[in-house]
Amino acid sequence: MTEPGSGAQTLFDLKEMELNFGPQHPSTHGVLRLKLKVDGERIVDCYPIIGYLHRGTEKLFELHPYFQNVPHTDRMDYVAAATNNLAYVAAVERLFGLTVPPRARYIRTLLCELQRISSHLLWLATHAIDIGAMTPFFYTFREREIILDLFEEYCGARLTLNCMRPGGQPFDLTVGWEERCREFIDDFPSKIDEYEGLLTENRIWKKRTVGVGVLDPDVAVDYGVTGPLLRGSGVNWDLRKATPYEAYGEVEFDVPLGKNGDTYDRYIIRMEEMRQSSRIITQCLDKLPEGKIMAHRPRVMKGPKVGEAYAAIEAPKGVLGFYIVSDGKPGPYRCRVRPPSFMNLQVLPEMTRNHLLSDLVAIIGTTDIVLGEIDR
Amino acid sequence: MKRFLDKIMLLDLFAGLGITAKHLFKKKVTVQYPEERREPTHRFRGMFRLDEERCIKCTLCARDCPIDIIYIDWHQEVNPVTEKKEKVLDRFDIDVQRCMFCGLCEEACPTEPKSIWLTSKTYELATYERWQNLYVDIDELQDWKVRPEYTDKEVV
Amino acid sequence: MMESVLELLGPELYYGALTPALKIAVLLFVGILPVITYLVLAERKILGYIQVRLGPNRVGPWGLLQPIADVMKLLVKEDVIPNRAIRWAFILAPCLVVGPAFVIFAVIPVGPPAAEPGGLDLFITDVNVGLLFIVAMATIAVYGLIIGGWSSNSKFSLLGGLRSAAQMISYEVPQGFALVAALLLAGSMSMVGIVEAQKAAGVWFVFPQFLGFFIYFVAGVAESNRNPFDLPEAESELVAGYHTEYSGMRFALFFLGEYANMIVISAVAVTLYFGGWYRPFPNVEALSFLDFPFLPAGLVAVFWFAVKVFAFLFVYIWFRGTFPRYRFDQLMDLGWKWMIPLALLNIFLTALFKLVL
Repeated sequence: MTEPGSGAQTLFDLKEMELNFGPQHPSTHGVLRLKLKVDGERIVDCYPIIGYLHRGTEKLFELHPYFQNVPHTDRMDYVAAATNNLAYVAAVERLFGLTVPPRARYIRTLLCELQRISSHLLWLATHAIDIGAMTPFFYTFREREIILDLFEEYCGARLTLNCMRPGGQPFDLTVGWEERCREFIDDFPSKIDEYEGLLTENRIWKKRTVGVGVLDPDVAVDYGVTGPLLRGSGVNWDLRKATPYEAYGEVEFDVPLGKNGDTYDRYIIRMEEMRQSSRIITQCLDKLPEGKIMAHRPRVMKGPKVGEAYAAIEAPKGVLGFYIVSDGKPGPYRCRVRPPSFMNLQVLPEMTRNHLLSDLVAIIGTTDIVLGEIDR
Repeated sequence: MKRFLDKIMLLDLFAGLGITAKHLFKKKVTVQYPEERREPTHRFRGMFRLDEERCIKCTLCARDCPIDIIYIDWHQEVNPVTEKKEKVLDRFDIDVQRCMFCGLCEEACPTEPKSIWLTSKTYELATYERWQNLYVDIDELQDWKVRPEYTDKEVV
Repeated sequence: MMESVLELLGPELYYGALTPALKIAVLLFVGILPVITYLVLAERKILGYIQVRLGPNRVGPWGLLQPIADVMKLLVKEDVIPNRAIRWAFILAPCLVVGPAFVIFAVIPVGPPAAEPGGLDLFITDVNVGLLFIVAMATIAVYGLIIGGWSSNSKFSLLGGLRSAAQMISYEVPQGFALVAALLLAGSMSMVGIVEAQKAAGVWFVFPQFLGFFIYFVAGVAESNRNPFDLPEAESELVAGYHTEYSGMRFALFFLGEYANMIVISAVAVTLYFGGWYRPFPNVEALSFLDFPFLPAGLVAVFWFAVKVFAFLFVYIWFRGTFPRYRFDQLMDLGWKWMIPLALLNIFLTALFKLVL
């Protein structure tokens, strides 16, 4: 390659050209920007540039008391607000030493699994549309709409739920919510079959995903990749099994694992996770205990003791952790978020190397990133 | 053999075509918005309402608001009837432009029933100008003038 | 009235210039352009129905005025030419796409030739090398895409243009081979002749030539850059491919070209493999009610032709609603490793068949 700016250059003199992919590109999922070096259509190098959605969330956490921060977590991974809420309130509960009553734990598990399904549905929709199949998008959104309706009925919002509080749940389930949820969940596996009928066996889909973006298990572990990306490479690491939180210790479910670590494996895993999620939800509905939904806590909370707490959960995209340092004031001294998307995005250059431009969008789709979480 | 047949007969592709063909005749899920409207659920967090009678001017809602968009000023007055000191609101403004409808103000309200609540089932809050109607004062909060419903006939 | 015009102009001018010109005008402004605009609406509607939604339904009853609104919008939109674009090529490219696509319609017979001399032929001209003419014209469209992609001076456009060049050139080969097999069977290169040969044989060529038809249609989908072969304008990869930088009417021309190409491919498929303007099973007397004897024969012919073409167009849209997109190298694989050998085999078999009979 010649030096940039070394004289009159036209496009054709260069063997490699630099291609700016995003942040306004239709398939970079938000405002991700990639600086690509391409040789024809082959990607030589890929350099993600982030920060277009930075809102200073971690700093905002420091400015507010613990209990006002929950709405801010909604806006990190905005397609999976419930799991964000859970990770934050889990850390705060650890800091305050609050015990959550069983009914609240079950409701939280329900909400998180519904959120996992809705997040995976959104992932499937965008992933399919990136690879060119536009119809699954509308089918998945049809089902996602029902989940959002359930959320709306439970907490009054569809996307930015703000549906958990440190110590328990702010509301109980409404009358009829369980039946509606059960109705949806009973029907849902047949809907998954529909998506799979369009994609799983389709030869074009297979050609586009099998062997594309192979992620070596060692590389994945080195980069701190979590979630379906890690499990696609065959590493059995699911916090719901490894360190059961909320009601996950009391329900049965399997953790699907991949073999090859390619895009197709990750697709299969996420489809299977949706089925497992509906299994968890059915069990939770069956076992749902009666009782209080909020731990005993004073009306106006004083600050916790000086100390620190870390809580991590398995969000739809991977391990989401909150690390909170307290100096005894009503608000955190420092709050650090470990977002799964950020770690997952880091392997993008590894995965895309020597692939074609078309594979790039498939690989971005398969990492399932949300820029709100990466930039915070 | 079956795999070979699959490959030749393109069965996988026809399966997909079958699914889309089936959906061609299914009932459509579109909600035709200006004519049909979704009824928000009972807990839906929409536009604010305030009941000044119930409000005890404790300003907890303003304090609990994560983005400080509730502005409350009050002074004390002697009620001529009961001859007791009472708090009287001078100002109760909400800058709805910045509101994220988290509902924490409602939760903080100590009165029963709540004096400020968001479950007014309003969601058509869009305006054509930034300054229009999104800074609401006490009168509007008590008597939220429902905007004329959107119709596609409307031309601005 | 026509007689007085005939007297005024003399038969040479009348048959040589006036009737073809009138036919072109009718075909273009009554036939193709409205069909294309409403094809866009039909596509959006059918796609919507496949995707459990309603599609456009706001402009006019059932959205019937939507195409007109779209055309109006495209006409009044600002026509942006990028600063560093190569101007003449940028302007030329869309014309190169649309022009040939329309010219091809000249040799496509939508109905039978005139029953008696001096009557109305339901085609503009019947060239005795019609098929060759179509292939030749279809090739020119490639230049439009390449020039459009290159002259925009944008990297995404360039990649789209290069993709389209590779794709269309490699798929022209199997398409041409498939056509060769069909014309071996028909023994004629004139479009009218091929239709008549099918009637004489009593069977649509799609049955003896199924492989050929399959190859032709798949290659045709690739030629017209439609799903699952829409790589040159792959939205999620190349923004909009070769027409990324185009706006307003110039973009509309590319759009028009794509849809005109779809219709051309369908019309040629109908003519070559599905018996042209004849009703199904033209030699079976029992089905003669399908000829609608109470209607003028020309109208019925056009009706059957249109029905067949629309069936193909529906398949195009159905494909778009179902399939993901191939990758560039896989597309080349499919073309060179499968389609071309199969097409050659097909020619061989057809020739053998002709020789034995």
